[in-house]
Amino acid sequence: MAKPEERREALKIIGAIGSTCAFPFSADELYAQHQHDGPAATLPSQPSFFTKDEFAAISRLADLIIPATGTPGALAAGVPAYIDYVVSRNPAAQTLQRQGLAWLDSHCGKLHGKRFAELGEAQQIAVLTPLLEAADKAPLPAGPRTGGLTPRPAWKASTGVKFLHAVKSLTADGFFTSKEGLVETLRYPGNTAMAEFPTCIHEH
Amino acid sequence: MANPIHDIVIAGSGAAGGTLAAHLAAAGVDVALVEGGPKIDTRVAFNTHAMPFHFPNRAIPTMKAGKEGFFSERARGVGGKTLTWNAVAWRYSQRDFKGKSHDGAGENWPFDYKDLAPYYDRIEREIGVCGNLDGLEDLPDGVFLPPVPMKCTDVAVKNGAAKLGVKVIHVRKATLSRPRGGRPACHYCGNCMAGCDVVAKYNSADVHIAPAMKTGKLTVYHDSIVREVIVNQENRVTGVRTLNRETKAEGEIKGRGVVVCCACVQSVSLLLMSKSRLYPNGLANSSGQLGKHFIPHFTGGVQCFLKDFIGKPPANDEGFLDHAYVPSFMHSRKRDYARSFGVQFNYQNRRSTGWTRSIPGFGKSYKQAVTDRYPAFLTFSPYGEMLPNAKSFIDLDPSVKDAHGLPAARRHVWWGSNDLKIFADMIEWSKRILESTGAEILSVSDEPRTNHELGGARMGEDTRTSVVNSFCQTHDVKNLFVVDGAVFPSASEKNPTHTIMALAARTAEHIQERLKKGGL
Repeated sequence: MAKPEERREALKIIGAIGSTCAFPFSADELYAQHQHDGPAATLPSQPSFFTKDEFAAISRLADLIIPATGTPGALAAGVPAYIDYVVSRNPAAQTLQRQGLAWLDSHCGKLHGKRFAELGEAQQIAVLTPLLEAADKAPLPAGPRTGGLTPRPAWKASTGVKFLHAVKSLTADGFFTSKEGLVETLRYPGNTAMAEFPTCIHEH
Repeated sequence: MANPIHDIVIAGSGAAGGTLAAHLAAAGVDVALVEGGPKIDTRVAFNTHAMPFHFPNRAIPTMKAGKEGFFSERARGVGGKTLTWNAVAWRYSQRDFKGKSHDGAGENWPFDYKDLAPYYDRIEREIGVCGNLDGLEDLPDGVFLPPVPMKCTDVAVKNGAAKLGVKVIHVRKATLSRPRGGRPACHYCGNCMAGCDVVAKYNSADVHIAPAMKTGKLTVYHDSIVREVIVNQENRVTGVRTLNRETKAEGEIKGRGVVVCCACVQSVSLLLMSKSRLYPNGLANSSGQLGKHFIPHFTGGVQCFLKDFIGKPPANDEGFLDHAYVPSFMHSRKRDYARSFGVQFNYQNRRSTGWTRSIPGFGKSYKQAVTDRYPAFLTFSPYGEMLPNAKSFIDLDPSVKDAHGLPAARRHVWWGSNDLKIFADMIEWSKRILESTGAEILSVSDEPRTNHELGGARMGEDTRTSVVNSFCQTHDVKNLFVVDGAVFPSASEKNPTHTIMALAARTAEHIQERLKKGGL
């Protein structure tokens, strides 16, 4: 693999297009279409589904699942607001979120005599580790359009595990589709105009 | 307003309808092209270059805010599915047309490769297809623009497959690798299936239909959903009955002949809806064959990470989606099933990050594991050929209506033992090739799912077992034609659109000759 700067040498932004072009746009317009730094969609800072306490717990969970490191984390990417947005529009997901948050507090109460939000970070991580390990064993979702074949057996797991599976999925979705996640963390390089596609010149 | 009688009414404006309209209009035939959806300005109407974070739910809608199109299967827009297709363009081979002669399974096409070859040539010259001359028996070469280089990850797979004696070739696509005919070359932004905004990728609206308007012979009726093909007492079709998409107003468009090109399932459902005294079970269905022999491609996927690319900087390789292909290689190998499969791969878009859910763990190590794997993610999607069976067919739902109040089409799919054997083997080979490449496998499909809908109004010489003849003319009604995936008697494992367009070109020539000789 080449370093990105090596690859970039082979790439050029299209500066001109054929003079015979039948389409009514100029090269500048074409170029302008490939400036993609548009404003990210903004979500309200106040949750519409979660209560204030619930939202604080969801925010803490998202922060623990994808923390800020050298790159932004779930909080900077607005993941809690994304989760609230998705859950508020998806009635089928609401029961699990509400029951799961209540279950988590009661689980922490039994273990440590405190609500999840009141625990220190080390305790929070200790509580989450076995639950998220179990959540990672969830079967992958069935692909779309399976043609009415064998129904998937229901995933047998506790409310807590199912809830954390949902929160991790929502956090991953929300973060890695955000500008902070996709562009600043993963360094999404595409959606540009290239004069030609570079030939691979590396040894594999 | 006068209601003119056109020479030919074409229902559907996609790959088949667009090709037919352009070829017939250029030959001086008065054509009406009827499309259920609106006219779409492909330059500005699609969300071609949007990013997921521009939308609160992170799902990029097909159309930009305030732009119309893609309302339903019956009302996408002028250009149909070519507006958002991936543009893969294979020729079928002699073995694809005569599979039954090789292995006794399925059904033969009623003509040979050499009969369709000149029309493949013509389509390639018209629309521009890039690809390499590979000299393969089961994937005939054509008239190609230069191929687009493979991605680094493709080259890795190519080398891994070579260790197993499996060939990986350049993909062939109806996307320009060089400027041509007033269209610019591809700029490799990776958004082909979001709607190409510069027409580097073929779509029928810009490449066939818009230029054909200049002949003065083509009238496009958009937002007009065809709900019935009308047949008279003399067993001739006289036009189509339409439903305005917005106002629901009924209309009629008259013609001396009708071609149905609404895409496989919708074409079959239109004929099934067109009930009359002569055809109480649906138009051109005296044989009872309409809807039968539904043979969609089946696919399944393996998601993986190529180990050599884990932890490397991500490359700007969105390209024009997939750049390489594993052509069918089983015909020369011993196996316990009929037919074969091919593999499309590496056509995931680097904005699709759903796989990140499936990386275990949380916290800093999880974030790092995802970041490291991001440049290495690759999907492998083999496509297999389904054989016809009695339990796989298309019909109309007796109670459910679609968005336009018309009977909803139903797809019944049942996998036969041959289908399941191919599925198991194509997944096995996919894993083998990826392991040979050095891959960490994330997920493997455990059941087939359908893609590329084919069959339902199949072509054949026997009027008791097929719906149309080799010129796509219905056996029952001489001035009625069906041109799209519905007429395929066998599916091959290859993407079908190029063959649909070649059939459209051949049918257009046939119609034109018959009109010259005195009518349909």
